[in-house]
Amino acid sequence: MAACFILSPLSPYTKYSEHELVALLLRQNEQAFSYLYDNYSPALFGIINQIIPEKELATDVMQDVFINIWRKIASYDAAKGRLFTWMLNIARNAAIDKIRSRPYQDSLKNQPLPENVNTNTPNSVVNADINDVGLKKLINKLKEEYRVVIDLSYFQGFTHEEISKLLGIPLGTVKTRIRSALMQLRTLI
Amino acid sequence: MNIQEYISSGIVESYVLGLASPEERAEFEQMCGQYPELVEARNNFELALELHARTSTARPSQEVKEKIWSAIQQTSSTPKIVTMEPTASRSTGLRWVAAASVILFIVAGYFAFHFYNENAQLKNSNKNLETKINSMDSVLGTMADHDKLMSDPNMTVVNMVGMQKGSPSSASVYWDSTSANVYLIVKNMPKLPSDKQYQLWALINNKPVDLGLFDAPKDNKIMLRMKNTEKADAFAITVENKGNTGGPNLNQLQSMGKAKL
Repeated sequence: MAACFILSPLSPYTKYSEHELVALLLRQNEQAFSYLYDNYSPALFGIINQIIPEKELATDVMQDVFINIWRKIASYDAAKGRLFTWMLNIARNAAIDKIRSRPYQDSLKNQPLPENVNTNTPNSVVNADINDVGLKKLINKLKEEYRVVIDLSYFQGFTHEEISKLLGIPLGTVKTRIRSALMQLRTLI
Repeated sequence: MNIQEYISSGIVESYVLGLASPEERAEFEQMCGQYPELVEARNNFELALELHARTSTARPSQEVKEKIWSAIQQTSSTPKIVTMEPTASRSTGLRWVAAASVILFIVAGYFAFHFYNENAQLKNSNKNLETKINSMDSVLGTMADHDKLMSDPNMTVVNMVGMQKGSPSSASVYWDSTSANVYLIVKNMPKLPSDKQYQLWALINNKPVDLGLFDAPKDNKIMLRMKNTEKADAFAITVENKGNTGGPNLNQLQSMGKAKL
């Protein structure tokens, strides 16, 4: 119930605790879906859109994410974490799957490639609106070399090995940097 | 490593953000079962993360919401999601069973067809073998008869040689002087016009005695049972009109052999 108190000031619409919401979703309650969408779609769309800049495609992915949440709610285990964390990971994974998919990769080839993530790219200027909100805003507060590894791993889904190759730094350094980045994040949050 | 070090190692953030490896996740979950302070640290980070994520200013439309709801309505005609997981896995199992039984059915069908065919083939070749054995049997019987005749000490063998120039007709008469049985083994007798027949004669005191008419056998070396005679000085084969009842046409003497040396 503590979660309920903390959440309450965040959203004026909050009527349910996570526990209650999950119970209602399990019963396939339409009101529960409505509540879920109204309360979580901005945050979930936010994370998806930070990974997929194209709004229309991001919206498509978000639809799939909500359908998946609805279908998989029985596999949510409250002992392993909060409902929001679970949904956030579903959204992030779906978005990363999309940008790493063949059709998406092919569509990128027809456009000028965004410049290296190391630099402040025109892309990031264009997407200033999504970079200044949500998790991206938090990540952007990190030290540059940390921001880069978190961006690559969290927002683009690269493995440590892939990041090592991309940045031309040893695998051990990648691991250390990500660890340090996460420790810094802890102090920022 | 004590629990505080573990908590501040970045593992909490790594776990919550979904960046931890499966091994790290398993370890973290196990540690959560032991250390309430780890759960508390995780919960704090989750809440802070949620707070940040919810600063998103995006406002997905009501239209999208309706679209999702109708998609959900369409796909979930089953009564309860809760029961979906087990039934889903059970139906996956059933699907496998169904697939397996279809494969089994096809395989069984194939074998049934294959064995049916094979059986038909075997029956056929069995029949062929039977026919072959029967004909072999008769050949063997003939040969055994030959052998019996030839090895009979009472048997007199008279080789008849061709009397006509250029016609290699030859035959042997097996004559049992005690039982008076006469057998003719044709070695090589040319085929005759359809109105002609061969006739075997026994010459007794220079008088020809009819021992029977016969056609040129299809297969040479065939043994023919002829009329009995107790006496014979020689044997002769002539060509006669079919069904001849008169005497021998000695102009047409084909083969001849003396019975006694």
